[in-house]
Amino acid sequence: MKQFALARLAPLAFALTLIGLWQLLADLNLISPIFFPSPARAFAVLEYRLADGSLWGSLAGTSLRMVFGWLLASIAGVILGAAIGSSRLTRDLLDPTLEFIRPLPASAVIPVAILFLGLSNAMSLTVIAFGAIWPVLLASVHGFSTVQHELSDVSNVLGFGRRQFLQKIALPSALPDIIAGLRVSLAIALILTVVTEMQSSLPGLGWDIFFAQRSYRSADLYAGLILLAALGFTANHLILLLERRALRWRTLRT
Amino acid sequence: MQAIRKQGVAAQPDASGVPALSIRDLSVSFGAPSAGGLTVLDHINIDVRDGEFLCIVGSSGSGKTTLLRVLAGLFRPTQGEVLFNGQPIAGPSRDRAIIFQDYSKALLPWRTVRGNVALSLEARGIPAGQQDAVIDELLAKMGLRAAKDKFPGQLSGGMQQRVQIARCLAQEPKILLMDEPFGALDAMTRQALQDEILQLAAEKQTTVVFITHDLEEAIYLGDRVAVIGGAPARIVEMIDVDLPRPRNQLTTRENSHFLAHRHRLFELLTRHQSAQHGGIGIASRNGGNG
Repeated sequence: MKQFALARLAPLAFALTLIGLWQLLADLNLISPIFFPSPARAFAVLEYRLADGSLWGSLAGTSLRMVFGWLLASIAGVILGAAIGSSRLTRDLLDPTLEFIRPLPASAVIPVAILFLGLSNAMSLTVIAFGAIWPVLLASVHGFSTVQHELSDVSNVLGFGRRQFLQKIALPSALPDIIAGLRVSLAIALILTVVTEMQSSLPGLGWDIFFAQRSYRSADLYAGLILLAALGFTANHLILLLERRALRWRTLRT
Repeated sequence: MQAIRKQGVAAQPDASGVPALSIRDLSVSFGAPSAGGLTVLDHINIDVRDGEFLCIVGSSGSGKTTLLRVLAGLFRPTQGEVLFNGQPIAGPSRDRAIIFQDYSKALLPWRTVRGNVALSLEARGIPAGQQDAVIDELLAKMGLRAAKDKFPGQLSGGMQQRVQIARCLAQEPKILLMDEPFGALDAMTRQALQDEILQLAAEKQTTVVFITHDLEEAIYLGDRVAVIGGAPARIVEMIDVDLPRPRNQLTTRENSHFLAHRHRLFELLTRHQSAQHGGIGIASRNGGNG
């Protein structure tokens, strides 16, 4: 029990030490507070702006963009991954094109997206979906293409059609890969949410920190960063929770 | 314990005339023969009688599994055909269940024992409300009642193989095709499952084609034993097993006929092995039972 408590407390102590060092550095005034605020100031601004409600709108905007962009990427990625992973024909057809597009940095697509969609949420979602689709797509292709051949045989003997095979056998079989891909995609979705907000002044945390930097309000900038980190942390943990539930069978072993 | 069945007269021609499976002049090659293709099975002819328990023995890599996949309709032969109740096999069917050696790959690890058996009922279009009764009966029969809500990964190898058998029985097949089903199990579990499968086959008069490389297992279970050997593999010998049923792990294995069959099969296989590349037969990795 004591060991357990220590194992839980040590990481917390480490984080608090880092914040303490940060406070110490700021107190030494080596760097002007205009560029480098103390954690006390950053957290004070965070608290104040959460209390007066001015940060909630930004947090909501960023969260929604991240989640919807990620959902778009996930749905498209799984469907495309199933098509490619379970059929030689679609793989041969689509693979060369996808392999050509994949190395393209998602941020390089932003100008194109702006030309078509303007400085809008639609533009942001398109860019997020474009960048976040790859991890879930590749993981899905792998998952669907490595279904045990015994299971394909079982499916054929039982007379399952393509739809039933995908639904009852292939999708659950690929799920561990898919969920791993979903997690990586979510991290990319958050990055691109922030980038597109900065690029096109969409109301969100990305724009907030960009604007705070330009107006030399460093405490606001750091408050935004802290909130962004908390958002990413929470989202990742939600997926881990989903994973543990959906893949319960993997953790139950003799 | 076991219903009286065929009373050791399995070798006689079937009265009804139509074999359950008729393998006719079957050959399988991989790759074009002109381009140095590999022939695995060479002009195989077997009639499997209705209700018969036929064992096929041969060394590893002799094409036994390929033969079974052809019988299941999962693999198209290069030459010849297989008739199922007089009709050519065009593809897989629920009437011919296949049981794989590697149960861990053949079960759905994300479904419970109950869910795995339910898969066959879903395939038969049985509504969810009516599945429980069938599942409970099958699980009780296979000694899996207590494991109903466990996942395959939580079970021993013997229990997992029972789940696979239960799932195959749930599809109500006319024929069980078994591919070295007990090869990965320990000796005690294997003997228990041998007796269970004999009892199941006797109860429903199910035709069984059982592949093994364990000679004693083949003699113990079979009405007949087909020996395949050589490269490409052919039927080397077809032996009628004149041992009384129900079989018994002690008395059957001590029967002088059992020992004579074992002697003969051993010689046959070693002869055909030395022609190949040595060393499987009775001294298999599972060590046989004796």
